[in-house]
Amino acid sequence: MSGENGIRTEKLDIGYKSDLIKDISLCVRPGEIVTLIGPNGSGKTTLLKTLSGELKSRGGTVYLDGDDRESLKASEIAKRMSIVMTYKIKPELMTCREVVEVGRYPYTGSFGILSDTDREKVKEAMEWTDVADLDESLFSNISDGQKQRVLLARAICQEPEIMILDEPTSFLDIRHKIDILQRIRAFAEGKKVAVLMSLHELGIARNISDTVVCVGEGEVLKTGTPEEVFKEEFIRRLYHLEDTDIDMLGEVLWLK
Amino acid sequence: MSKRRNAVFFCVITILIIAFFWINIVLGSADISVREVLGIITGGSSETMESSIIMGIRMPRAISAVLLGGALALSGYLLQTFFGNPIVGPFVLGISSGAKLFVALTMIFFLSLGKQMGLNMMVLAAFVGASLAMAFVLLISVKVRNMSILVVCGIMTGYICSAITDLVVTFADDSNIVNLHNWSMGSLSGMGWEEIRLIAVIVAICFLLAVLIQKPMNAYRLGEAYARSVGVNIKLLRVMLIFISSLLAACVTAFAGPISFVGIAVPHLVRSALGTDSAPVMIPASFLGGALITLFCDLVARTVFAPTEVSISSVTAVFLVPVVIYMMIKRSGRNS
Repeated sequence: MSGENGIRTEKLDIGYKSDLIKDISLCVRPGEIVTLIGPNGSGKTTLLKTLSGELKSRGGTVYLDGDDRESLKASEIAKRMSIVMTYKIKPELMTCREVVEVGRYPYTGSFGILSDTDREKVKEAMEWTDVADLDESLFSNISDGQKQRVLLARAICQEPEIMILDEPTSFLDIRHKIDILQRIRAFAEGKKVAVLMSLHELGIARNISDTVVCVGEGEVLKTGTPEEVFKEEFIRRLYHLEDTDIDMLGEVLWLK
Repeated sequence: MSKRRNAVFFCVITILIIAFFWINIVLGSADISVREVLGIITGGSSETMESSIIMGIRMPRAISAVLLGGALALSGYLLQTFFGNPIVGPFVLGISSGAKLFVALTMIFFLSLGKQMGLNMMVLAAFVGASLAMAFVLLISVKVRNMSILVVCGIMTGYICSAITDLVVTFADDSNIVNLHNWSMGSLSGMGWEEIRLIAVIVAICFLLAVLIQKPMNAYRLGEAYARSVGVNIKLLRVMLIFISSLLAACVTAFAGPISFVGIAVPHLVRSALGTDSAPVMIPASFLGGALITLFCDLVARTVFAPTEVSISSVTAVFLVPVVIYMMIKRSGRNS
Protein backbone atom coordinates (compact mmCIF):
# COMPACT_ATOMS: atom_id res chain seq x y z
CA MET A 1 0.00 0.00 0.00
CA SER A 2 1.42 3.37 -0.95
CA GLY A 3 0.95 6.54 1.07
CA GLU A 4 -2.22 7.55 -0.73
CA ASN A 5 -5.55 6.48 0.77
CA GLY A 6 -9.10 6.44 -0.50
CA ILE A 7 -10.32 6.02 -4.03
CA ARG A 8 -9.19 7.92 -7.10
CA THR A 9 -9.88 7.61 -10.80
CA GLU A 10 -7.69 8.74 -13.64
CA LYS A 11 -9.09 9.30 -17.13
CA LEU A 12 -11.77 6.72 -16.47
CA ASP A 13 -14.13 5.87 -19.34
CA ILE A 14 -17.36 4.11 -18.43
CA GLY A 15 -20.32 2.61 -20.26
CA TYR A 16 -21.86 -0.65 -21.40
CA LYS A 17 -21.58 -1.10 -25.18
CA SER A 18 -20.26 2.39 -25.86
CA ASP A 19 -18.72 5.17 -23.81
CA LEU A 20 -21.30 6.80 -21.56
CA ILE A 21 -18.93 9.19 -19.84
CA LYS A 22 -15.29 9.69 -20.75
CA ASP A 23 -12.31 10.97 -18.88
CA ILE A 24 -13.60 10.94 -15.30
CA SER A 25 -11.18 12.06 -12.66
CA LEU A 26 -12.46 12.08 -9.14
CA CYS A 27 -10.99 11.50 -5.73
CA VAL A 28 -12.43 10.57 -2.35
CA ARG A 29 -10.15 10.81 0.67
CA PRO A 30 -10.61 9.00 4.00
CA GLY A 31 -13.31 10.56 6.18
CA GLU A 32 -14.83 12.38 3.22
CA ILE A 33 -18.24 12.02 1.63
CA VAL A 34 -18.46 12.61 -2.10
CA THR A 35 -21.94 12.59 -3.62
CA LEU A 36 -22.94 12.02 -7.23
CA ILE A 37 -25.99 13.93 -8.41
CA GLY A 38 -27.60 14.14 -11.81
CA PRO A 39 -30.69 13.05 -13.71
CA ASN A 40 -31.75 9.40 -14.18
CA GLY A 41 -29.74 7.66 -16.86
CA SER A 42 -26.86 10.10 -16.62
CA GLY A 43 -24.47 7.35 -15.56
CA LYS A 44 -24.28 7.60 -11.76
CA THR A 45 -25.01 3.92 -11.21
CA THR A 46 -22.78 2.93 -14.15
CA LEU A 47 -19.92 4.85 -12.55
CA LEU A 48 -20.48 3.24 -9.14
CA LYS A 49 -20.70 -0.21 -10.75
CA THR A 50 -17.46 0.39 -12.60
CA LEU A 51 -15.71 1.46 -9.41
CA SER A 52 -17.03 -1.58 -7.53
CA GLY A 53 -15.81 -3.87 -10.32
CA GLU A 54 -19.20 -5.10 -11.44
CA LEU A 55 -18.64 -3.45 -14.83
CA LYS A 56 -15.38 -3.36 -16.73
CA SER A 57 -14.00 0.10 -17.30
CA ARG A 58 -13.60 1.11 -20.93
CA GLY A 59 -10.39 2.96 -20.31
CA GLY A 60 -8.38 4.70 -17.62
CA THR A 61 -7.50 3.55 -14.13
CA VAL A 62 -9.16 3.17 -10.73
CA TYR A 63 -6.83 3.46 -7.76
CA LEU A 64 -7.78 1.96 -4.39
CA ASP A 65 -5.49 3.29 -1.66
CA GLY A 66 -3.05 4.18 -4.40
CA ASP A 67 -2.97 0.73 -6.02
CA ASP A 68 -4.33 0.06 -9.49
CA ARG A 69 -7.58 -1.88 -9.07
CA GLU A 70 -6.56 -4.30 -11.83
CA SER A 71 -3.41 -5.30 -9.97
CA LEU A 72 -5.31 -6.32 -6.81
CA LYS A 73 -6.74 -9.76 -6.06
CA ALA A 74 -10.49 -10.03 -5.46
CA SER A 75 -9.86 -10.80 -1.79
CA GLU A 76 -7.66 -7.70 -1.37
CA ILE A 77 -10.26 -5.48 -3.02
CA ALA A 78 -12.92 -6.96 -0.72
CA LYS A 79 -10.91 -5.93 2.34
CA ARG A 80 -10.62 -2.37 1.08
CA MET A 81 -14.02 -1.64 -0.40
CA SER A 82 -17.62 -2.54 0.40
CA ILE A 83 -20.86 -1.68 -1.36
CA VAL A 84 -24.54 -1.03 -0.76
CA MET A 85 -26.45 -1.21 -4.02
CA THR A 86 -30.10 -0.72 -4.97
CA TYR A 87 -30.80 -4.32 -5.96
CA LYS A 88 -33.71 -5.83 -4.14
CA ILE A 89 -32.27 -9.03 -2.74
CA LYS A 90 -34.59 -11.83 -1.66
CA PRO A 91 -32.53 -14.45 0.11
CA GLU A 92 -34.50 -17.54 1.16
CA LEU A 93 -34.80 -18.03 4.90
CA MET A 94 -31.80 -15.86 5.69
CA THR A 95 -31.69 -14.05 9.01
CA CYS A 96 -30.45 -10.48 9.24
CA ARG A 97 -27.42 -11.66 11.17
CA GLU A 98 -26.54 -14.08 8.37
CA VAL A 99 -26.82 -11.23 5.86
CA VAL A 100 -24.45 -9.10 7.92
CA GLU A 101 -22.08 -12.03 8.44
CA VAL A 102 -21.44 -12.17 4.69
CA GLY A 103 -19.46 -8.98 5.27
CA ARG A 104 -16.86 -11.03 7.16
CA TYR A 105 -16.27 -13.22 4.09
CA PRO A 106 -12.86 -11.71 3.22
CA TYR A 107 -11.59 -12.45 6.74
CA THR A 108 -12.73 -16.03 7.34
CA GLY A 109 -10.97 -19.27 6.36
CA SER A 110 -11.82 -21.54 3.47
CA PHE A 111 -14.89 -23.02 5.19
CA GLY A 112 -16.27 -19.64 6.20
CA ILE A 113 -16.35 -20.39 9.94
CA LEU A 114 -16.66 -17.21 12.00
CA SER A 115 -14.20 -16.56 14.83
CA ASP A 116 -15.17 -14.77 18.05
CA THR A 117 -13.67 -11.58 16.63
CA ASP A 118 -15.84 -11.92 13.54
CA ARG A 119 -18.95 -12.39 15.66
CA GLU A 120 -18.02 -9.37 17.74
CA LYS A 121 -17.60 -7.20 14.61
CA VAL A 122 -20.96 -8.37 13.27
CA LYS A 123 -22.62 -7.51 16.57
CA GLU A 124 -20.94 -4.12 16.72
CA ALA A 125 -21.97 -3.23 13.18
CA MET A 126 -25.56 -4.25 13.87
CA GLU A 127 -25.69 -2.25 17.07
CA TRP A 128 -24.21 0.67 15.26
CA THR A 129 -26.95 0.76 12.62
CA ASP A 130 -29.56 -0.05 15.27
CA VAL A 131 -30.61 -3.47 13.95
CA ALA A 132 -29.17 -5.62 16.74
CA ASP A 133 -32.66 -6.62 17.86
CA LEU A 134 -33.40 -7.96 14.37
CA ASP A 135 -30.56 -10.48 14.33
CA GLU A 136 -32.82 -13.56 14.30
CA SER A 137 -35.49 -11.99 12.06
CA LEU A 138 -35.71 -13.12 8.46
CA PHE A 139 -34.37 -10.52 6.06
CA SER A 140 -37.38 -10.97 3.77
CA ASN A 141 -39.79 -10.07 6.56
CA ILE A 142 -38.44 -6.68 7.66
CA SER A 143 -39.29 -3.21 6.35
CA ASP A 144 -37.36 -1.39 3.62
CA GLY A 145 -35.84 1.00 6.13
CA GLN A 146 -34.62 -1.88 8.25
CA LYS A 147 -33.30 -3.71 5.18
CA GLN A 148 -31.23 -0.71 4.22
CA ARG A 149 -29.75 -0.51 7.73
CA VAL A 150 -28.97 -4.24 7.69
CA LEU A 151 -27.21 -3.86 4.34
CA LEU A 152 -25.31 -0.91 5.73
CA ALA A 153 -24.27 -3.01 8.73
CA ARG A 154 -23.06 -5.68 6.29
CA ALA A 155 -20.97 -3.12 4.44
CA ILE A 156 -19.60 -1.74 7.72
CA CYS A 157 -18.51 -5.05 9.22
CA GLN A 158 -16.52 -5.71 6.05
CA GLU A 159 -14.19 -3.05 7.57
CA PRO A 160 -13.58 -1.19 4.34
CA GLU A 161 -11.47 1.86 3.75
CA ILE A 162 -13.77 2.81 0.89
CA MET A 163 -17.53 2.48 0.79
CA ILE A 164 -19.71 2.82 -2.30
CA LEU A 165 -23.45 3.35 -1.94
CA ASP A 166 -25.96 3.64 -4.76
CA GLU A 167 -28.95 5.71 -3.69
CA PRO A 168 -28.88 4.50 -0.09
CA THR A 169 -32.02 6.51 0.65
CA SER A 170 -34.31 5.10 -2.04
CA PHE A 171 -37.49 3.44 -0.73
CA LEU A 172 -37.12 5.32 2.56
CA ASP A 173 -39.33 7.97 4.09
CA ILE A 174 -37.84 11.31 5.05
CA ARG A 175 -37.09 10.35 8.66
CA HIS A 176 -35.29 7.18 7.62
CA LYS A 177 -33.47 9.01 4.85
CA ILE A 178 -31.99 11.41 7.38
CA ASP A 179 -31.35 8.63 9.86
CA ILE A 180 -29.37 6.46 7.44
CA LEU A 181 -27.34 9.38 6.11
CA GLN A 182 -26.43 10.53 9.60
CA ARG A 183 -25.13 7.05 10.29
CA ILE A 184 -23.11 7.09 7.07
CA ARG A 185 -21.71 10.53 7.97
CA ALA A 186 -20.71 9.38 11.46
CA PHE A 187 -19.19 6.20 10.06
CA ALA A 188 -17.13 8.08 7.46
CA GLU A 189 -15.77 10.47 10.08
CA GLY A 190 -15.39 7.99 12.91
CA LYS A 191 -13.62 5.23 10.98
CA LYS A 192 -11.93 7.48 8.43
CA VAL A 193 -13.63 5.82 5.50
CA ALA A 194 -13.86 7.31 2.02
CA VAL A 195 -17.55 7.33 1.08
CA LEU A 196 -18.80 7.73 -2.47
CA MET A 197 -22.55 7.64 -3.06
CA SER A 198 -25.28 8.73 -5.39
CA LEU A 199 -28.30 10.67 -4.16
CA HIS A 200 -31.48 12.05 -5.68
CA GLU A 201 -32.41 14.36 -2.82
CA LEU A 202 -30.62 17.60 -3.51
CA GLY A 203 -31.39 19.18 -0.15
CA ILE A 204 -29.85 16.26 1.67
CA ALA A 205 -26.90 16.02 -0.70
CA ARG A 206 -26.17 19.64 -0.05
CA ASN A 207 -26.03 19.15 3.69
CA ILE A 208 -24.13 15.90 3.95
CA SER A 209 -21.48 16.10 1.24
CA ASP A 210 -17.94 17.38 1.38
CA THR A 211 -17.76 17.35 -2.39
CA VAL A 212 -20.54 17.06 -4.97
CA VAL A 213 -19.96 15.61 -8.43
CA CYS A 214 -22.57 16.53 -11.02
CA VAL A 215 -23.08 14.06 -13.84
CA GLY A 216 -25.11 14.92 -16.91
CA GLU A 217 -25.03 15.41 -20.66
CA GLY A 218 -22.48 12.62 -21.01
CA GLU A 219 -19.83 14.19 -18.82
CA VAL A 220 -18.94 15.33 -15.35
CA LEU A 221 -20.34 18.84 -15.55
CA LYS A 222 -19.02 20.16 -12.30
CA THR A 223 -17.16 19.05 -9.19
CA GLY A 224 -16.98 21.16 -6.09
CA THR A 225 -18.16 21.92 -2.58
CA PRO A 226 -21.93 22.12 -2.05
CA GLU A 227 -21.67 25.94 -2.01
CA GLU A 228 -19.99 25.94 -5.40
CA VAL A 229 -22.34 23.45 -7.01
CA PHE A 230 -25.75 24.36 -5.68
CA LYS A 231 -26.46 27.40 -7.79
CA GLU A 232 -30.02 27.69 -9.04
CA GLU A 233 -29.14 28.13 -12.69
CA PHE A 234 -26.67 25.28 -12.84
CA ILE A 235 -28.93 22.78 -11.09
CA ARG A 236 -31.75 23.72 -13.48
CA ARG A 237 -29.47 22.99 -16.39
CA LEU A 238 -28.27 19.71 -14.85
CA TYR A 239 -31.81 18.38 -14.51
CA HIS A 240 -33.14 20.04 -17.70
CA LEU A 241 -35.67 22.10 -15.76
CA GLU A 242 -34.94 25.51 -17.26
CA ASP A 243 -38.60 26.23 -18.03
CA THR A 244 -40.25 24.71 -14.98
CA ASP A 245 -41.39 26.88 -12.13
CA ILE A 246 -39.84 24.99 -9.28
CA ASP A 247 -37.83 25.83 -6.21
CA MET A 248 -34.76 23.75 -7.09
CA LEU A 249 -32.74 24.15 -3.97
CA GLY A 250 -35.40 23.79 -1.36
CA GLU A 251 -37.57 20.80 -0.70
CA VAL A 252 -40.66 22.46 -2.12
CA LEU A 253 -41.94 21.70 -5.57
CA TRP A 254 -44.54 23.58 -7.54
CA LEU A 255 -45.60 22.33 -10.92
CA LYS A 256 -47.17 24.63 -13.43
CA MET B 1 -31.60 -21.69 19.39
CA SER B 2 -31.16 -22.67 15.75
CA LYS B 3 -28.16 -24.74 16.81
CA ARG B 4 -30.46 -26.88 18.90
CA ARG B 5 -32.90 -27.18 16.02
CA ASN B 6 -30.06 -28.36 13.77
CA ALA B 7 -28.91 -30.90 16.35
CA VAL B 8 -32.42 -32.29 16.75
CA PHE B 9 -32.85 -32.47 12.98
CA PHE B 10 -29.61 -34.36 12.40
CA CYS B 11 -30.28 -36.76 15.25
CA VAL B 12 -33.82 -37.54 14.16
CA ILE B 13 -32.95 -37.97 10.50
CA THR B 14 -30.00 -40.24 11.27
CA ILE B 15 -32.18 -42.45 13.46
CA LEU B 16 -34.88 -42.55 10.77
CA ILE B 17 -32.35 -43.47 8.08
CA ILE B 18 -31.00 -46.30 10.21
CA ALA B 19 -34.54 -47.49 10.95
CA PHE B 20 -35.63 -47.44 7.31
CA PHE B 21 -32.37 -48.99 6.19
CA TRP B 22 -33.08 -51.85 8.57
CA ILE B 23 -36.70 -52.21 7.42
CA ASN B 24 -35.54 -52.21 3.77
CA ILE B 25 -33.23 -55.09 4.52
CA VAL B 26 -35.68 -57.13 6.57
CA LEU B 27 -38.78 -56.71 4.39
CA GLY B 28 -39.09 -58.41 1.05
CA SER B 29 -40.79 -61.15 -0.91
CA ALA B 30 -38.52 -63.81 0.58
CA ASP B 31 -39.50 -64.25 4.22
CA ILE B 32 -36.37 -63.92 6.31
CA SER B 33 -36.68 -63.41 10.05
CA VAL B 34 -35.05 -60.55 11.90
CA ARG B 35 -32.84 -62.97 13.81
CA GLU B 36 -31.63 -64.58 10.60
CA VAL B 37 -30.88 -61.17 9.09
CA LEU B 38 -28.89 -60.21 12.19
CA GLY B 39 -27.01 -63.45 11.99
CA ILE B 40 -26.18 -62.96 8.32
CA ILE B 41 -24.98 -59.38 8.78
CA THR B 42 -22.86 -60.08 11.86
CA GLY B 43 -21.85 -63.64 11.02
CA GLY B 44 -20.28 -62.91 7.66
CA SER B 45 -20.56 -65.12 4.62
CA SER B 46 -22.45 -68.31 5.10
CA GLU B 47 -23.35 -69.62 1.63
CA THR B 48 -27.10 -69.91 2.15
CA MET B 49 -29.78 -68.56 -0.14
CA GLU B 50 -30.93 -66.17 2.59
CA SER B 51 -27.47 -64.77 2.92
CA SER B 52 -27.17 -64.12 -0.79
CA ILE B 53 -30.55 -62.38 -0.79
CA ILE B 54 -29.55 -60.12 2.08
CA MET B 55 -25.94 -59.43 1.17
CA GLY B 56 -26.25 -59.71 -2.61
CA ILE B 57 -29.58 -58.00 -3.26
CA ARG B 58 -31.17 -56.09 -0.39
CA MET B 59 -28.05 -54.63 1.19
CA PRO B 60 -26.59 -53.10 -2.01
CA ARG B 61 -30.05 -51.88 -2.98
CA ALA B 62 -30.55 -50.10 0.34
CA ILE B 63 -27.07 -48.59 0.17
CA SER B 64 -27.75 -47.38 -3.37
CA ALA B 65 -30.99 -45.76 -2.17
CA VAL B 66 -29.01 -43.84 0.45
CA LEU B 67 -26.25 -42.75 -1.91
CA LEU B 68 -28.34 -41.98 -4.98
CA GLY B 69 -31.19 -40.36 -3.06
CA GLY B 70 -28.69 -38.17 -1.24
CA ALA B 71 -26.97 -37.37 -4.53
CA LEU B 72 -30.24 -36.26 -6.14
CA ALA B 73 -31.24 -34.00 -3.28
CA LEU B 74 -27.77 -32.46 -3.14
CA SER B 75 -27.83 -31.93 -6.91
CA GLY B 76 -31.18 -30.19 -6.56
CA TYR B 77 -29.92 -27.97 -3.75
CA LEU B 78 -26.88 -26.89 -5.78
CA LEU B 79 -29.06 -26.08 -8.79
CA GLN B 80 -31.41 -24.08 -6.57
CA THR B 81 -28.46 -22.08 -5.31
CA PHE B 82 -27.24 -21.54 -8.87
CA PHE B 83 -30.58 -20.23 -10.12
CA GLY B 84 -31.46 -18.49 -6.87
CA ASN B 85 -34.80 -20.23 -7.01
CA PRO B 86 -36.13 -23.15 -4.96
CA ILE B 87 -38.39 -24.49 -7.72
CA VAL B 88 -35.72 -26.20 -9.82
CA GLY B 89 -34.21 -29.67 -9.75
CA PRO B 90 -32.31 -31.98 -12.08
CA PHE B 91 -35.52 -33.70 -13.19
CA VAL B 92 -37.69 -30.66 -13.96
CA LEU B 93 -34.83 -28.96 -15.80
CA GLY B 94 -34.52 -31.95 -18.13
CA ILE B 95 -31.01 -32.83 -16.98
CA SER B 96 -31.93 -36.34 -15.83
CA SER B 97 -33.72 -36.97 -19.13
CA GLY B 98 -30.72 -35.76 -21.12
CA ALA B 99 -28.56 -38.23 -19.22
CA LYS B 100 -31.12 -40.97 -19.78
CA LEU B 101 -31.19 -40.39 -23.54
CA PHE B 102 -27.44 -40.59 -23.84
CA VAL B 103 -27.19 -43.72 -21.73
CA ALA B 104 -29.89 -45.39 -23.86
CA LEU B 105 -28.20 -44.40 -27.12
CA THR B 106 -24.78 -45.54 -25.95
CA MET B 107 -26.20 -48.76 -24.56
CA ILE B 108 -27.90 -49.61 -27.84
CA PHE B 109 -24.77 -48.72 -29.76
CA PHE B 110 -22.76 -51.12 -27.63
CA LEU B 111 -25.41 -53.83 -27.94
CA SER B 112 -25.40 -53.47 -31.72
CA LEU B 113 -21.68 -54.15 -31.62
CA GLY B 114 -22.44 -57.22 -29.56
CA LYS B 115 -20.68 -55.88 -26.51
CA GLN B 116 -21.81 -55.11 -22.97
CA MET B 117 -21.44 -51.58 -21.81
CA GLY B 118 -19.08 -51.05 -18.87
CA LEU B 119 -20.12 -49.11 -15.80
CA ASN B 120 -17.60 -46.34 -16.37
CA MET B 121 -18.83 -45.93 -19.93
CA MET B 122 -22.37 -45.68 -18.64
CA VAL B 123 -21.52 -42.90 -16.20
CA LEU B 124 -19.56 -41.08 -18.86
CA ALA B 125 -22.46 -41.25 -21.32
CA ALA B 126 -24.86 -40.03 -18.63
CA PHE B 127 -22.54 -37.15 -17.78
CA VAL B 128 -22.28 -36.11 -21.44
CA GLY B 129 -26.08 -36.21 -21.75
CA ALA B 130 -26.59 -34.30 -18.51
CA SER B 131 -24.06 -31.67 -19.53
CA LEU B 132 -25.68 -31.15 -22.93
CA ALA B 133 -29.12 -30.78 -21.34
CA MET B 134 -27.61 -28.41 -18.79
CA ALA B 135 -25.97 -26.37 -21.56
CA PHE B 136 -29.34 -26.09 -23.27
CA VAL B 137 -31.02 -24.94 -20.05
CA LEU B 138 -28.27 -22.37 -19.46
CA LEU B 139 -28.67 -21.10 -22.99
CA ILE B 140 -32.37 -20.53 -22.36
CA SER B 141 -31.71 -18.99 -18.96
CA VAL B 142 -29.53 -16.34 -20.62
CA LYS B 143 -32.38 -15.48 -23.00
CA VAL B 144 -35.27 -15.52 -20.54
CA ARG B 145 -35.09 -14.26 -16.99
CA ASN B 146 -38.43 -15.80 -16.08
CA MET B 147 -38.01 -18.93 -13.98
CA SER B 148 -41.40 -20.43 -14.90
CA ILE B 149 -40.51 -20.36 -18.60
CA LEU B 150 -37.19 -21.96 -17.79
CA VAL B 151 -38.88 -24.78 -15.88
CA VAL B 152 -41.44 -25.29 -18.66
CA CYS B 153 -38.59 -25.47 -21.20
CA GLY B 154 -36.83 -27.97 -18.97
CA ILE B 155 -39.91 -30.18 -18.73
CA MET B 156 -40.36 -29.98 -22.53
CA THR B 157 -36.73 -30.96 -23.03
CA GLY B 158 -37.35 -33.83 -20.69
CA TYR B 159 -40.30 -34.99 -22.77
CA ILE B 160 -38.38 -34.79 -26.03
CA CYS B 161 -35.48 -36.76 -24.55
CA SER B 162 -37.89 -39.35 -23.14
CA ALA B 163 -39.69 -39.62 -26.47
CA ILE B 164 -36.45 -40.26 -28.34
CA THR B 165 -35.39 -42.73 -25.65
CA ASP B 166 -38.70 -44.61 -25.99
CA LEU B 167 -38.32 -44.61 -29.75
CA VAL B 168 -34.85 -46.11 -29.78
CA VAL B 169 -35.83 -48.59 -27.08
CA THR B 170 -38.89 -49.69 -29.07
CA PHE B 171 -36.98 -50.25 -32.30
CA ALA B 172 -33.85 -51.75 -30.83
CA ASP B 173 -34.00 -55.53 -31.09
CA ASP B 174 -32.27 -57.36 -28.35
CA SER B 175 -33.29 -59.34 -25.33
CA ASN B 176 -31.33 -56.95 -23.16
CA ILE B 177 -33.83 -54.29 -24.07
CA VAL B 178 -36.08 -55.56 -21.30
CA ASN B 179 -33.51 -54.37 -18.80
CA LEU B 180 -33.19 -51.12 -20.63
CA HIS B 181 -36.91 -50.62 -20.38
CA ASN B 182 -36.91 -51.20 -16.64
CA TRP B 183 -34.01 -48.87 -16.22
CA SER B 184 -35.58 -46.10 -18.28
CA MET B 185 -38.58 -46.10 -15.93
CA GLY B 186 -36.39 -45.60 -12.90
CA SER B 187 -35.55 -48.45 -10.59
CA LEU B 188 -33.02 -49.39 -7.94
CA SER B 189 -33.28 -53.11 -8.64
CA GLY B 190 -30.26 -55.10 -9.70
CA MET B 191 -27.69 -53.03 -7.81
CA GLY B 192 -24.51 -54.96 -7.15
CA TRP B 193 -21.42 -54.23 -5.09
CA GLU B 194 -19.47 -53.24 -8.17
CA GLU B 195 -21.99 -50.50 -8.89
CA ILE B 196 -22.05 -49.42 -5.25
CA ARG B 197 -18.27 -48.98 -5.25
CA LEU B 198 -18.36 -46.65 -8.26
CA ILE B 199 -21.39 -44.73 -6.97
CA ALA B 200 -19.73 -44.27 -3.58
CA VAL B 201 -16.57 -42.85 -5.15
CA ILE B 202 -18.43 -40.39 -7.39
CA VAL B 203 -20.85 -39.26 -4.70
CA ALA B 204 -18.06 -38.86 -2.14
CA ILE B 205 -16.03 -36.70 -4.52
CA CYS B 206 -19.06 -34.54 -5.34
CA PHE B 207 -19.97 -34.17 -1.68
CA LEU B 208 -16.44 -33.05 -0.80
CA LEU B 209 -16.42 -30.55 -3.68
CA ALA B 210 -19.76 -29.20 -2.46
CA VAL B 211 -18.35 -28.75 1.05
CA LEU B 212 -15.38 -26.90 -0.43
CA ILE B 213 -17.66 -24.30 -2.04
CA GLN B 214 -20.00 -23.85 0.93
CA LYS B 215 -18.44 -20.52 1.84
CA PRO B 216 -18.95 -18.78 -1.53
CA MET B 217 -22.36 -20.47 -1.81
CA ASN B 218 -23.43 -18.72 1.35
CA ALA B 219 -22.32 -15.31 0.10
CA TYR B 220 -23.98 -16.00 -3.26
CA ARG B 221 -27.35 -16.00 -1.49
CA LEU B 222 -27.15 -12.19 -1.50
CA GLY B 223 -26.87 -12.18 -5.28
CA GLU B 224 -24.01 -11.80 -7.68
CA ALA B 225 -23.03 -8.19 -7.00
CA TYR B 226 -22.72 -8.51 -3.23
CA ALA B 227 -21.00 -11.88 -3.56
CA ARG B 228 -18.43 -10.42 -5.92
CA SER B 229 -17.91 -7.43 -3.63
CA VAL B 230 -16.79 -9.67 -0.77
CA GLY B 231 -14.34 -11.48 -3.03
CA VAL B 232 -16.25 -14.46 -4.42
CA ASN B 233 -14.97 -15.74 -7.76
CA ILE B 234 -18.39 -15.85 -9.40
CA LYS B 235 -17.34 -17.66 -12.56
CA LEU B 236 -15.57 -20.43 -10.68
CA LEU B 237 -18.48 -20.83 -8.28
CA ARG B 238 -21.00 -21.09 -11.12
CA VAL B 239 -18.88 -23.63 -12.99
CA MET B 240 -18.47 -25.69 -9.83
CA LEU B 241 -22.20 -25.64 -9.06
CA ILE B 242 -23.06 -26.77 -12.59
CA PHE B 243 -20.32 -29.39 -12.72
CA ILE B 244 -21.15 -31.00 -9.38
CA SER B 245 -24.92 -30.99 -9.86
CA SER B 246 -24.66 -32.41 -13.39
CA LEU B 247 -22.26 -35.13 -12.29
CA LEU B 248 -24.52 -36.12 -9.40
CA ALA B 249 -27.64 -36.19 -11.58
CA ALA B 250 -25.74 -38.13 -14.26
CA CYS B 251 -24.53 -40.68 -11.70
CA VAL B 252 -28.06 -41.29 -10.43
CA THR B 253 -29.49 -41.60 -13.92
CA ALA B 254 -26.75 -43.94 -15.11
CA PHE B 255 -27.42 -46.44 -12.32
CA ALA B 256 -31.08 -46.02 -11.46
CA GLY B 257 -32.65 -44.22 -14.40
CA PRO B 258 -34.50 -40.99 -13.81
CA ILE B 259 -35.91 -40.61 -10.29
CA SER B 260 -38.31 -37.70 -10.28
CA PHE B 261 -38.90 -34.82 -7.87
CA VAL B 262 -36.44 -35.85 -5.13
CA GLY B 263 -34.05 -33.11 -6.28
CA ILE B 264 -36.64 -30.37 -6.18
CA ALA B 265 -38.81 -31.32 -3.19
CA VAL B 266 -36.35 -32.67 -0.64
CA PRO B 267 -34.23 -29.51 -0.27
CA HIS B 268 -37.47 -27.62 0.29
CA LEU B 269 -38.68 -30.03 2.98
CA VAL B 270 -35.28 -29.95 4.68
CA ARG B 271 -35.10 -26.16 4.46
CA SER B 272 -38.53 -25.85 6.05
CA ALA B 273 -37.64 -28.30 8.80
CA LEU B 274 -34.41 -26.46 9.62
CA GLY B 275 -35.71 -22.93 9.06
CA THR B 276 -32.52 -21.96 7.25
CA ASP B 277 -30.94 -22.11 3.82
CA SER B 278 -27.37 -21.81 5.08
CA ALA B 279 -25.09 -23.87 2.83
CA PRO B 280 -22.91 -25.53 5.51
CA VAL B 281 -26.07 -26.96 7.09
CA MET B 282 -28.05 -27.58 3.92
CA ILE B 283 -25.37 -29.61 2.11
CA PRO B 284 -25.32 -32.51 4.60
CA ALA B 285 -28.99 -32.05 5.51
CA SER B 286 -30.19 -32.27 1.89
CA PHE B 287 -28.07 -35.35 1.38
CA LEU B 288 -29.54 -37.10 4.42
CA GLY B 289 -33.05 -35.97 3.54
CA GLY B 290 -32.72 -37.37 0.03
CA ALA B 291 -31.37 -40.63 1.42
CA LEU B 292 -34.30 -41.00 3.81
CA ILE B 293 -37.01 -40.19 1.26
CA THR B 294 -35.50 -42.50 -1.33
CA LEU B 295 -35.17 -45.37 1.14
CA PHE B 296 -38.82 -44.90 2.02
CA CYS B 297 -40.01 -44.62 -1.60
CA ASP B 298 -38.02 -47.66 -2.70
CA LEU B 299 -39.54 -49.63 0.16
CA VAL B 300 -43.01 -48.63 -1.02
CA ALA B 301 -42.12 -49.34 -4.66
CA ARG B 302 -41.16 -52.94 -3.99
CA THR B 303 -43.46 -53.95 -1.14
CA VAL B 304 -46.89 -52.36 -1.63
CA PHE B 305 -47.78 -54.32 -4.78
CA ALA B 306 -45.40 -57.22 -4.10
CA PRO B 307 -44.37 -59.32 -5.87
CA THR B 308 -44.88 -56.75 -8.66
CA GLU B 309 -42.54 -53.84 -8.37
CA VAL B 310 -43.57 -50.36 -9.43
CA SER B 311 -41.03 -47.84 -10.71
CA ILE B 312 -39.55 -45.70 -7.96
CA SER B 313 -40.38 -42.58 -9.95
CA SER B 314 -44.10 -43.32 -9.63
CA VAL B 315 -43.74 -43.47 -5.86
CA THR B 316 -41.60 -40.35 -5.53
CA ALA B 317 -44.05 -38.51 -7.80
CA VAL B 318 -47.05 -39.49 -5.66
CA PHE B 319 -45.38 -38.33 -2.46
CA LEU B 320 -43.41 -35.35 -3.68
CA VAL B 321 -45.49 -33.66 -6.38
CA PRO B 322 -47.93 -32.33 -3.75
CA VAL B 323 -44.95 -30.78 -1.98
CA VAL B 324 -43.81 -29.08 -5.19
CA ILE B 325 -47.30 -27.78 -5.95
CA TYR B 326 -47.62 -26.46 -2.41
CA MET B 327 -44.28 -24.67 -2.80
CA MET B 328 -45.35 -23.03 -6.04
CA ILE B 329 -48.68 -21.84 -4.65
CA LYS B 330 -47.03 -20.47 -1.53
CA ARG B 331 -44.42 -18.60 -3.52
CA SER B 332 -46.78 -17.09 -6.07
CA GLY B 333 -49.01 -16.00 -3.21
CA ARG B 334 -46.14 -14.24 -1.50
CA ASN B 335 -44.79 -12.55 -4.59
CA SER B 336 -48.04 -11.05 -5.76
